[in-house]
Amino acid sequence: MALLALAAIGVPLAGAVLMIGPGRHSRRAAAAIVVVATAVTAGLCLLLAAHAGAAPPAGLTLIQLVPPMPIALRVDAMGALFALTVALLGVLATLHALVWLREDRRYWQYHAVLLLCMGLMLLVAFAANLITLLVGYELFSLAAFVLIVHQRSPKAFAAGFKYLAYILPASALTLIGTVLLVFHFGSIEFMPGGVLDRAIPPAAYVAWICLVLGFGVKAALFPLHGWVPDAHPAAPAPFSAVLSGVMVATGSFAMLRVLFELFGPAALGQMGVMPWLGTAAGVGVILAGVLALGEDDLKRRLAWSTISQMGYVLLAASLLDTQALAGALAHLANHAFIKGGLFFCAGAFIFSAGVHKVSELGGLAWRMPLTAVVLTVLSLALIGVPPLSGFVGKWMMGGAMAADGALLPLSVLLLGSLLAALYLWPVLAAIWSPAEDNAAVEPPARGGGDPPRLMCLALAGSALFSLLFGLAAVVTGYPLGLAVRAAAVLTGGATP
Amino acid sequence: MGAELLDARPALALLVSATGAGLIMLIGYRARLRAWLAVGAAVLKFVIVWSMLPGVLAGQVYGLTLFEVLPGLALELRVDALGLFFALVSSTLWIPATIYALAYMRGRQGQRRFFSFFALCVATTVGIAFAENLLTLFVFYELLTVCTYPLVIHEGGLAARRAGRRYLIYTLSGGALILTGMVVVQHLAGTLSLSGTGILDSIDNHAALLAIFVLLVAGFGVKAAIMPLHSWLPAAMVAPVPVSALLHAVAVVKAGVFGLMRVVYNVFGVEHMRVLGFAGYLGLLAGFTILAASVIALRQHNLKRLLAWSTISQLSYIVLAISLLTPAATLAGIIHLANQAFAKITMFFAAGAIQRATGKTRIDELDGIGRQLPAVMASFTVAGLSFIGVPLLAGFITKWYLSLGALQAGSGGYMVVLALSGLLNAAYWLPILYRAWFKPPAGVAAAGNTSPLAGSAALSPMMLVPLLICAAYVLLLGVGAEAPAMPFVLAEAAVRLVFGLPGPAP
Repeated sequence: MALLALAAIGVPLAGAVLMIGPGRHSRRAAAAIVVVATAVTAGLCLLLAAHAGAAPPAGLTLIQLVPPMPIALRVDAMGALFALTVALLGVLATLHALVWLREDRRYWQYHAVLLLCMGLMLLVAFAANLITLLVGYELFSLAAFVLIVHQRSPKAFAAGFKYLAYILPASALTLIGTVLLVFHFGSIEFMPGGVLDRAIPPAAYVAWICLVLGFGVKAALFPLHGWVPDAHPAAPAPFSAVLSGVMVATGSFAMLRVLFELFGPAALGQMGVMPWLGTAAGVGVILAGVLALGEDDLKRRLAWSTISQMGYVLLAASLLDTQALAGALAHLANHAFIKGGLFFCAGAFIFSAGVHKVSELGGLAWRMPLTAVVLTVLSLALIGVPPLSGFVGKWMMGGAMAADGALLPLSVLLLGSLLAALYLWPVLAAIWSPAEDNAAVEPPARGGGDPPRLMCLALAGSALFSLLFGLAAVVTGYPLGLAVRAAAVLTGGATP
Repeated sequence: MGAELLDARPALALLVSATGAGLIMLIGYRARLRAWLAVGAAVLKFVIVWSMLPGVLAGQVYGLTLFEVLPGLALELRVDALGLFFALVSSTLWIPATIYALAYMRGRQGQRRFFSFFALCVATTVGIAFAENLLTLFVFYELLTVCTYPLVIHEGGLAARRAGRRYLIYTLSGGALILTGMVVVQHLAGTLSLSGTGILDSIDNHAALLAIFVLLVAGFGVKAAIMPLHSWLPAAMVAPVPVSALLHAVAVVKAGVFGLMRVVYNVFGVEHMRVLGFAGYLGLLAGFTILAASVIALRQHNLKRLLAWSTISQLSYIVLAISLLTPAATLAGIIHLANQAFAKITMFFAAGAIQRATGKTRIDELDGIGRQLPAVMASFTVAGLSFIGVPLLAGFITKWYLSLGALQAGSGGYMVVLALSGLLNAAYWLPILYRAWFKPPAGVAAAGNTSPLAGSAALSPMMLVPLLICAAYVLLLGVGAEAPAMPFVLAEAAVRLVFGLPGPAP
């Protein structure tokens, strides 16, 4: 198992290295490498997800990084859930990118860095302890900068620097938090139920603050979300999809790991700190939703939506409830394909019609029918309309909140969904408006029809996933099955 | 602790370099012969020093008395884990430094003198590393000052002479302080030996102990460039690049911090030091230096000057580590001897290569240099990220143990200093990396006739290969803690000696 995980991490990294060699000189080779690498990774992750949680997680220690802290891997349900999400979205984003970058000079570079980021995110997913997680996390945070500034425009650089200005202090905080945990808890190996076996030291509060803030930056936790709305429009569309779909989620994932498997739900309950996290997340849900309303740039609007949606995850997790956590994890995975797909659509509009703004989308549906249908499906999924995938997580989170009598979080959840409907409605209304409204738009850039086939495939894939994971959530076992199992383990209700 | 063995290797290591230096001076007229002599001495010494590693790891101590100056005062060599660690770092780095220098100095004046003194410097460094008592340490320490002076002023001219004068004034004054302190120690303790963990335990004269501490720390602090004793270091940047590498990485500043280690660990001893409480002030000074030097570094426009200020900041990591007196911090300090050395020498080699290939020395001229000199800038990037503290690189290891050590010492506030320092490091290294990799080369639009590969072609492999090796080592130090031949194990052994902890089963 753990060897399989090592392979899943190694394949994209090897692909990235190969890219520097043959991929650099030939586009064909580069495309072949990236397609094979992502496909193999996805296959490996599928295998891992199918078997995760069946047996106690087997560990694999690679090297002693800072003795006695090793780099070690472990496959559990939560890690497999996240890894599969990363790998599947990676495949779709690669298909999209193959078209998007068709005339790009830095074709190989994009794919190399993306593969690198994928490998590192999988390392985060399969990390058996916090130091391993940090290695993957810090390195991919830095590598992501290269993709954010891929277009090399002043706007892209401004967004990239802003990103660094957020990320670097965050990583400093994370390191402080980690060292505090090592010193005061004695162990940073992830264990369901936490590692703290004595009274809570006062430093645990400091560590909690450092780690929540540190990971919160990447997780777009209010008020640390400032880089998100700038980075998304600046990045190439396929990378925006990855950024919103899984990179932000990596922050949430890491935070959940630390909270549930180092502090442990019992200690967190005793410390009484989680309501603070819930409050910040809840404010983010509402505020970002409201800000999305006034945003005309489609990618920016979607970025605000990401902040709002990822707020749900931390809000639900802050309740320390098994079902809420299961819903949060399922939402984490489902959101990746929904939001990734929406960014694919935004990219398709830019690619085929040169349209960036919501106000310019008028009547595009009649020229780009497939894209419009996908956009509609995904929007409905994001709002949480059954039987699409967005509904599943929200239903579980909402149900848990109602059962706990947590009415304030529940109303935040509902209000957030209402806001999602409000900020996505104008997009749908514009795109399906009658064609004659469209006279003002200049002639389309590339024929104006639906984008080339590969890009359509990425679009259709994301729509298909969000349909499948909604309709057949229980049948497929992913993401819901894994999420339920992971939540049960994390909150201590079940043995791994 | 293992038995002390009489062994000639410590002296041999010293003699090899010294003989090399003498031969270069006497017969090194032809470039080819000179090169063989220089590299041969370096390799031979490397082999001798490394050959002592297994024994020392097994708990062996090698000793040799050279001669007695006065009854009870001898020039004596002794190889323990800490000393061997320092010797390993300097003798390992000396090989790439020599090869690089051969290429860098090609066609310049006074090469015989240059390489001769270059070799002498490393000989004296080994003497410092293997010194059994303060007197031996002091003698080699002063010799090092004398041997580096001709190198600092090698370029000639007013600026060089002025820098050289400042260097001499600072370091010789430091030497005088050490001498005074040493006399007091001898008077009070009756011995200058560095083989134990503290020779001043029996003395309860607080004022005298404070005086000794201040004298010795200030004396060694000059070369360790603790603020406010640092100003010779940026001035000495007029020297040729290999000399800067020698000053910053291999020998001089390292001799300073190594001296501090000996004072704290072997003259006072950690336990005694903790009781006395002097080290807290040293820690504050180091914390201040870490931040202040980084802030000054932010405002530098010349690449080499930036490197100098960064060195001052980085050295104080070690000083801070020494002052914390906990096992993790001590480990951090010792391995940072190597981590800082390899990362900084990589940067100096890169700066020299850029200067050699393109004539550029200012940071704002570096636009697009990554495209012209990809291998050089890749190495520079590795070193820069290491200083920022990115995981899997050497700097992260230091930061980790130093933070842990600060917590052990109950001074968690230093973690904030380290975090800030990491951010400051990012603030001055990342703009350079941004210019190098993301900005289009200046002048390409204006003059399209310059081939993008013109720079690389001009670079001799004798400059490129040492650079790449050092950069690879930065990576290796970051991940290779477990590798059998890595100094990490040795550093752990040194920590055990300092704290008197039981060793692992051999």
